[in-house]
Amino acid sequence: MKSMWIGGIILIVALMAGTYIVAGDAFNLGEDYINDLTMLAGLAIISITVFVALKYIQQIKNDKAGGELAEDNWDGIGEYKNPIPTGWGLAFIGTLVWLFWYWTVGYPTSGFSQIGQYNEEVLEYNAKYEAKWANADEATLKAMGESLYLVNCAPCHGVDANGIDGKAQNLTQRISKESVVYAIKNGGNNFVTHYPGGMPGGLLYEDADINAVANWIANGAKGEAPEAFTTGTCNSCHGDDARGIAMVGPNLVSYDNDMITAVLDDGKKGNIGIMPAFKGMLNETQYKALGSYLRSIGE
Amino acid sequence: MFHWLEQRPFFFAVAVFLVVAFAGIIEIIPDFAKQSKPVVGTKPYTILELTGRHVYIKDSCNACHSQLIRPFKSETDRYGMYSLSGEYAYDRPFLWGSKRTGPDLWRVGNYRTTDWHENHMWDPKSVVPGSIMPAYKHHFTNIADVETAYAEAYTVKAVFNTPYDVDINGDGSVDVPLGTWEEAKARALEEARAIAADMKNQSVKDAVARGEIPEIVALIAYMNSLK
Repeated sequence: MKSMWIGGIILIVALMAGTYIVAGDAFNLGEDYINDLTMLAGLAIISITVFVALKYIQQIKNDKAGGELAEDNWDGIGEYKNPIPTGWGLAFIGTLVWLFWYWTVGYPTSGFSQIGQYNEEVLEYNAKYEAKWANADEATLKAMGESLYLVNCAPCHGVDANGIDGKAQNLTQRISKESVVYAIKNGGNNFVTHYPGGMPGGLLYEDADINAVANWIANGAKGEAPEAFTTGTCNSCHGDDARGIAMVGPNLVSYDNDMITAVLDDGKKGNIGIMPAFKGMLNETQYKALGSYLRSIGE
Repeated sequence: MFHWLEQRPFFFAVAVFLVVAFAGIIEIIPDFAKQSKPVVGTKPYTILELTGRHVYIKDSCNACHSQLIRPFKSETDRYGMYSLSGEYAYDRPFLWGSKRTGPDLWRVGNYRTTDWHENHMWDPKSVVPGSIMPAYKHHFTNIADVETAYAEAYTVKAVFNTPYDVDINGDGSVDVPLGTWEEAKARALEEARAIAADMKNQSVKDAVARGEIPEIVALIAYMNSLK
């Protein structure tokens, strides 16, 4: 009999060890209490199963029926007047008590909802996020921006940001000649939140002027601005150096944070196609991070 | 009573059924009343969108793509706001799907465009490197079945009171018109023109100009309506 108990304990240890080998990485104490509870429950279930089985095997081997027989018998089969096992009786009554508590008090007042759980999770996450990234440095923002880019932007702009053969804006340069020509001819009123004025089309109408401005901007606005830019009213909104004026005209030279915020908030429709808005899907820190990343790949 | 039932297996079975069904009834009926109400702003699909939905079902997009965003932070980060039951009020049947070989599509209209879907259906790997989705080039040549979509819209309007030709939000204009077959066809073509204008494939543009609607146009209309 003793060897059976020892065998039982060995079996429990073996099963637990097996569980640990298969799912050991989920067993970091304190990291996620659900995992810890699951392991604890696993241990309980295995132990109870083994010991209950052993107890009954022992009973089958050793126990003899006994007690006072009831008076009735059915074709020679009698029934003992033994009371129910105490443990079973207590468990039965205990379950009844728990049932009434759970139906009347426990369940209705626990107020659990999946959406409530979601809200808590989000609040907790946001607080953690705020605290952790409140003063992120440029390198951190760049790394964060890269991962954001790969998830949200890469499906259209490509993993290496070249716009996948003209499917979307090539982000390694601020603006292409074609985009500038398109904007001058058709105007643009994409960024209604950040540049509410919008840009009327046809401010320049001579092909030579349009070309000169487009070339100058597509090459990074280096050197002297062409005359058409300064006299064609481009500079009154985009600034003499084409670096933009807040709330009036966006920066045409680099992806500054105002520009990034405007595109992500409002989306864009240009010569290539439509870009959807990402307002509400990303937060401010993430906007900044994307800006940092885009500036880093352009250089 | 119980003694009586015990001796009659048929009535016993009926009684068991009634007892078990009772729990189901008190669980389910109130939910029907409460949760099948459409969320404010939910509208029935237009004819073209419904045509695209049929293409979606016909080509079993729902075998890999789900349409149910669950309330977990990781899900909403990726796909947007979690889904509410009232948003599916006009989905017959809903296309929740159970498998996510591809991403969830319930709000794909918010972050993908006509142009993107066109590239994606023509050659998925061109926009998603490593995608295992097959190309659906036949969508660009097959002509969509608008008649069936009209028949479905007409049926759900008549049988389930789906609010076609009704002013849903109370601003005095009809939100989703259905009308006669001729009107519906003309309207579908009009919608298709707007979408084809954003597309680059010349044969699709030509087909729409001829008055035909390729499956891709209908499918994109459906994709863009998911928000």
